[in-house]
Amino acid sequence: EKNIPLDSASRIELSCRLDNKYSHLKSFQVTWKRGNETIRHINKTENSWSIQLMVLDSSKLGSYSCTLKGEEEISAVFHLQGKMPKIEAKDKPIVSYEGDAAVLICKSCGYTPIAWTWYMTNGSEQIVINDSLLADKYVINKMSANVTHLKILKLAKENDGVYWCEAAFELGKSKGKLELKVLSLMVPLKPFLAIVAEVGVLVTVVFLYEMYSKKKEKRAEDGREFDQVEQL
Amino acid sequence: PPPANAGRAPGPPDGGWGWGGVFGAFVSIGFAYAFPKGIAIFYKEIQDFFGTSYSEIAWVSSIMLATTYGAEIVSSILVNRYGSRPVVIFGGLLCGIGMVSAAFCTSILQLYICVGFITGFGLALNLQPSVIIIGKYFLKRRPIANGLAMAGSPVMLCTLAPLNQFLFDNFGWRGSFLILGAILLNCCVAGALFRPIKAATASVKTPKEEVTKDAMEMNSPTNVPVEIKTEEEGGKDCCEKINQYLDFSLFKHRGFLIYLIGNVLMFLGFFAPIVFLAPYAKHIGIDEYSSAFLLSILAIVDMIARPTTGIIANSKWVRPRIQYFFSFSIAFNGTCHLLCPLASNYMGLVVYSIFFGLAFGMVCAMLFETLMDLVGAARFTSAVGLVTIAECCTILLGPPIGGTLIDTFGDYKYMFIKCGAVMVLAGTFLFIMNYYNYRMLAKEEKGRKAKEEDSKSVRTENKGRNNWDKETIQDGPELEPLKEELEGIKKEVNGT
Repeated sequence: EKNIPLDSASRIELSCRLDNKYSHLKSFQVTWKRGNETIRHINKTENSWSIQLMVLDSSKLGSYSCTLKGEEEISAVFHLQGKMPKIEAKDKPIVSYEGDAAVLICKSCGYTPIAWTWYMTNGSEQIVINDSLLADKYVINKMSANVTHLKILKLAKENDGVYWCEAAFELGKSKGKLELKVLSLMVPLKPFLAIVAEVGVLVTVVFLYEMYSKKKEKRAEDGREFDQVEQL
Repeated sequence: PPPANAGRAPGPPDGGWGWGGVFGAFVSIGFAYAFPKGIAIFYKEIQDFFGTSYSEIAWVSSIMLATTYGAEIVSSILVNRYGSRPVVIFGGLLCGIGMVSAAFCTSILQLYICVGFITGFGLALNLQPSVIIIGKYFLKRRPIANGLAMAGSPVMLCTLAPLNQFLFDNFGWRGSFLILGAILLNCCVAGALFRPIKAATASVKTPKEEVTKDAMEMNSPTNVPVEIKTEEEGGKDCCEKINQYLDFSLFKHRGFLIYLIGNVLMFLGFFAPIVFLAPYAKHIGIDEYSSAFLLSILAIVDMIARPTTGIIANSKWVRPRIQYFFSFSIAFNGTCHLLCPLASNYMGLVVYSIFFGLAFGMVCAMLFETLMDLVGAARFTSAVGLVTIAECCTILLGPPIGGTLIDTFGDYKYMFIKCGAVMVLAGTFLFIMNYYNYRMLAKEEKGRKAKEEDSKSVRTENKGRNNWDKETIQDGPELEPLKEELEGIKKEVNGT
């Protein structure tokens, strides 16, 4: 058994070769099959049988077997699989605010996808985001060959959640996951006010201490002057 | 530290409340230098949000740095007029307002204004007075105070980097700007610590016990007593009026000119290696995290080097020859850069980062100390404003020239060679010119002493009285015994 990962459309040649230890077999038949379908082999040499395949889309992927039927039955299986490029998306949540906009970005590393589709998660369902239908809410831009942007405008609490970007390639699809967090303006306001209050308190303390120590010095000086006047 | 004689004695207290001022300067200087570098973490997100290119975002940093350095001259004028404290508090408020308004920006142009201009201007108003206040509070321990205050920059950078990342992960860029605005308001606290000193700028010391130790020190800031005399002798014409705001007569000052030329030259090669260290490491095949770690090593060594240099510079062997120490550290820095291309693996770059951090810290710690040493605390305010505006051009040109060299030759080593050569040249220039300056100062001192010997009693009496008039000393009965003490000290000094 063999696994063959394919990342793009290609022409594949699969061949089965009969090992020397089986050369004693006399009458036999070799068939190439995919499931129930028989495939004609292109090449035949003394002890190898091969087929050629044009894998243009995902319909040609699957398991291919070459079977030797005779006194014994020997077979070999090839699994043609699509190896999809990984999709890069930010794994930390993207933070934005109510009323503001957010930009979600997905990048495909390697091959250029044929198309991008964005999904929003509603409960357990995935709903396609149609930017022509809701043009004032969602804007999908293809920024460059491998990069897609989803801009969500006028954010509201409901827009909070998980988003998926799906890249369609010749041989399959690949997904990336993004999380959007929508916060209200009160959230950063609390630490902000806390720090402003801290600054106010510290400044007041410093000034009060200064006035207090100045008064102390003045009193000490007056005391000393008094002593000196007395001395003179 | 000795108890503060601020209310009574003329001359810097060198301790007591001064250390509070050092802490305030630490915070202020730290924010001023570290903040522009710290907000670079937000750039990627802002770039995606507004859909701009990287160079358009980088302009925010450039505008901020340019405003900080360019506005220093306005800062100097304001400090001359109003004193350090109000300027720093106003600067802190400005920074806070700038960042808070940046949180609500809807275009990149608004960011240029809020983050670039307003916050940059606020940071400039923070930086100048902090440096100046150290000269007003310290004389004997000034190098240590300078070293400690300048250490604020690497400490703040090391704190801001992870803090900014944390804020960004939790609040996004808008919330982070809002909170950073509040954090910058802490500069107002730093400003509150800058208690104004009543005594002005004379370097005369009243305590008798310290006279013999100070005899050597009095020889270095000899400019100060001479300046007080000249300022009084001139009438109040329009030049005097301008000089009240910004002392252009500094351009006739030999030490100032030497410092100006040497430093302007040095800054051509000062910042570029830091900017390009991480990209160079990645270029020779080191991974991203290890490259970033090199900068952390640099910052940690820098943090330790600055106060240590301050302590060394304060010692009695180095203090009178501090200009030589400064030139040496610049040349040392340059040599590190020249040797950097020899480092071909990660260990080599780590060694380079350690030495670079050390040299960088040494130069930064003494940057303002040497200027104070040359022109004295009185004219330092104007001096630092004039120097910064001259350095502004070379500071901003340095990294782009380095970048052009890298792009043209496709190799980083020419950039390192250029920076190293420029700094070694600057160091050598400063060394030679300061040798000449020290000799001229010694000659002038001898000439001045000779003249004083001739008309001893009249002149010392006048000088003493002039010094006292200059300072706001309150009461009559106290004046007599102290004045006699002062003349006694003068006679002792002239005798040595």
